[in-house]
Amino acid sequence: MVMAEGATVVRRNRPGTTAKYIQQNIRSDCSNIEKIMEPPEGQDEGVWKYEHLRQFCLELNGLAVKLQTECHPDTCTQMTATEQWIFLCAAHKTPKECPAIDYTRHTLDGAACLLNSNKYFPSRVSIKESSVAKLGSVCRRIYRIFSHAYFHHRQIFDTYENETFLCHRFTRFVMKYNLMSKDNLIVPILEEEEEEEEEGGQNPSTGESEA
Amino acid sequence: MDEHAGPGVFFNNNNSSSSSSPLLQAGGRGAAADSDGGEAGRAQYSIPGILHFLQHEWARFEVERAQWEVERAELQAQVAFLHGERKGQENLKKDLVRRIKMLEYALKQERAKYHKLKYGTELNLGEMKAPSFDSEEANEKETSGSLNNQLSWKQGRQLLRQYLQEVGYTDTILDVKSQRVKALLGLAGDGTGDRSGQEPLLNGTDTDPLALGPLSDSSSVLEAFFIESAAAEFSDEDDEEDSEGKEKTIVDSRTVSRSDDPDAEEALKDFDFLSNTEDMDTSPESRSAGDGTDWEKDRQAWDVDQGLITKLKEQYRKERKGKKGVKRPNRTKLQDMLANLRDTEEPSSLQPSITPPPRPNANRFNEHDSSHTDEVEAITFPPSSGKAFIIGTEEAMETGELGLGELAGLTVANEADNLAYDISNNKDALRKTWNPKFTLRSHFDGIRGLAFHPVEPVLITASEDHTLKMWNLQKTTPAKKNASLDVEPIYTFRAHRGAVLCVVMSNTGEQCYSGGLDGTIQCWNTPSPNIDPYDSYQPSVLRGALCGHTDAVWGLVHSSAHQRLLSCSADGTVRLWNASNPQAALAVFNENKDLGLPSSVDLVCSDPAYMVTSFNNGRIGLFNMETRQQVLNMESTVESGASCQINKVLSHPTLPITITAQEDRHIKFYDNNTGKLIHSMVAHLDAVTSLAVDPNGLYLMSGSHDCSIRLWNLENKTCIQEFTAHRKKFDESIHDVAFHPSKCYIASAGADSLAKVFV
Repeated sequence: MVMAEGATVVRRNRPGTTAKYIQQNIRSDCSNIEKIMEPPEGQDEGVWKYEHLRQFCLELNGLAVKLQTECHPDTCTQMTATEQWIFLCAAHKTPKECPAIDYTRHTLDGAACLLNSNKYFPSRVSIKESSVAKLGSVCRRIYRIFSHAYFHHRQIFDTYENETFLCHRFTRFVMKYNLMSKDNLIVPILEEEEEEEEEGGQNPSTGESEA
Repeated sequence: MDEHAGPGVFFNNNNSSSSSSPLLQAGGRGAAADSDGGEAGRAQYSIPGILHFLQHEWARFEVERAQWEVERAELQAQVAFLHGERKGQENLKKDLVRRIKMLEYALKQERAKYHKLKYGTELNLGEMKAPSFDSEEANEKETSGSLNNQLSWKQGRQLLRQYLQEVGYTDTILDVKSQRVKALLGLAGDGTGDRSGQEPLLNGTDTDPLALGPLSDSSSVLEAFFIESAAAEFSDEDDEEDSEGKEKTIVDSRTVSRSDDPDAEEALKDFDFLSNTEDMDTSPESRSAGDGTDWEKDRQAWDVDQGLITKLKEQYRKERKGKKGVKRPNRTKLQDMLANLRDTEEPSSLQPSITPPPRPNANRFNEHDSSHTDEVEAITFPPSSGKAFIIGTEEAMETGELGLGELAGLTVANEADNLAYDISNNKDALRKTWNPKFTLRSHFDGIRGLAFHPVEPVLITASEDHTLKMWNLQKTTPAKKNASLDVEPIYTFRAHRGAVLCVVMSNTGEQCYSGGLDGTIQCWNTPSPNIDPYDSYQPSVLRGALCGHTDAVWGLVHSSAHQRLLSCSADGTVRLWNASNPQAALAVFNENKDLGLPSSVDLVCSDPAYMVTSFNNGRIGLFNMETRQQVLNMESTVESGASCQINKVLSHPTLPITITAQEDRHIKFYDNNTGKLIHSMVAHLDAVTSLAVDPNGLYLMSGSHDCSIRLWNLENKTCIQEFTAHRKKFDESIHDVAFHPSKCYIASAGADSLAKVFV
């Protein structure tokens, strides 16, 4: 058992400490994605991924609250990002074509249920191997909220992103741990970063995504 | 003449025929009918009519015959039973007479020995020969009757056994009981038999067919002793008691319990030494019934033997004492009980009720004692006593010891106590221990506030993950692991931009209000408890936001009387809002932060115009909301400048008392009228964070950061139950606790993002 003093105490056998650690880092500087992403010494990778995903779901509430005002079922009747795909809501017995706001809410609620369920994640100190696969599907569905907001409610997305850098962080997170395939990452965040770095213009590629 | 009238009566008579003397009745009615229309009746004679009449009469006769057969069978059974009983009595008498003869013989022997020792010469008492039992038995056998009687006696015994089984006594219990009785009798017999040293034990000579009969009867004898001794010992403490009264009791009970057998009674009186241990010297003299033997005088002459007898009696008495319960009622009460016992026993079981072994009777006395002292009618207890004394006997049987009667007695007494308690304290639903039933997992961060729906089994939790969730406790998911069930939320309220700190529901449950870190109070229309969790989004659920506070809203309280909402915030103000019309605040208190930052607010339940607020510097203020003035500053003992934050203030539902939960582990009680501190107690090992009072105002629940929830009795301020719930998450554990207003639920909100519900 590692006992350390100081503000960022990480006692490995205490559940919920990872969450607190992540939250502290975010609070101090939410734009410093590298620092937030960096797991402390000896941190179990499964637990790290799990706790981060919980934090993402938590913070996405803010985006959902903002979307609730603008995203109406009559304007956004389906969950789409680009014209290519329609996403079906997996929270029902048979996948249903929910309006965008319903999709957002159901996905977040479903993620909450799954991540808190005793069946898949009984402990917050160690994650079962079989449950790690679930994280990937949760990430995929959560990402669609970002993409819908980006393509259909741009202003909200931008405001929120500037406050929290959430999409950036999420994209980095997903790529770092290979939780989603790159083709699905249609929100052009990386391209913008590459633009800044290379000072060269590149057209944002319009990718295709699967349901 | 009557015969003729018969058919006529039959035709004219519509009444149902009675079984007794139909002919006579027919005759009577026939006479009446004759005067009315006898001629008409007679004219109606016809062959079918006559045939019908004959058949009818025959059928009637057959019915009667069947009834008589049944009666005769019953009577025969009764006869057989009585035979058996008589046989039993005779055997008993025979046994006792044998015993008497034995003792007499032993006495004579002793006297001879004594005389020889004392005087050195032989005492000529006349012929001393050992009583020959064989001739007696032969005589008795001749007199007892033919084989038929033996058979009926056997039948009687079978019947007895059957009745005993009905009562609930199995054969094994009976045997054990008879064993014990045998031992007891043998013990008493040993006292005298040892000295004689010649006669075998009476019980030992019993032949097998007679085993049950005399034993059960001797146990009944012993039961009579026990009644007497119980009566005697109970009456020992009675100051007015004298030996006459004692004897009267004995005689009474004996006449109640014994049949009319003067010989047996006489013999039984001699065994009173078993009961009257203390007054052994006086009682034989005071006994008025003539014994016909010069036994007592002889007994007094035996110094040595009396000593032994006394010792044995003491031992026996101690055993008897051990069997009794703690309570000793009046003799009169005991007699009443006896009468009741006899009365109530009759319908349940017949004569064998006299035969049940003595200890359960004693136990039943104890139970009845306690029932009497509890002032519950004995009449209500016999059904339970039937059950209770069986339990008593089984327990005694299991231990197989004489001295365990006390334990058995205690069991029974306790049962009686519980029964009495249940009858009187029916509605006291909280007299029980709470057990965790549901675990509510779905929040991503700690839960800060809880509110129960007023009527439905619905709970709303407010969490630091910016959401509120609504849970229906009747919709549980099957959990495989723990005993506590998992519940999934049915609705998620999203509108806050920061952690949600508090939530309240209106008194109808239609609306709920939440206050958050973002300084807003959101008003919601509560969705139906049967909503589908994955239903489409209803924007109408969010009614609007009450804006006005500039900092986190820490406390909310809803007033149903005035449809008002009170909120306290970290910006130092307490604001009053109109709940039905979300607009600007109606009133603002403490705008200039004189009193500090309010940490909690509550309405005074006994006086709805007042509200009480606690501050983070330890002060408590009572405000009149109508005049917008502070009325009272409660006496909060601040020691040498150290202020103690008050985490929660609560107003008692009925009494003018304010209760506070302090950061320094105390719970304090203040009087609303004077502002004085009524009581202060250290409640927990860490800061007390939350309080809740049950709807009846009898119990207080407190939650603390030491991970425990405690239930307190408000009358004597004692802790009734403590349970540990929730894990500590960075020094914080339980944020809120709540009682359900109408159902039997309590809930706790934890920093570990779980809410637990207890039933």
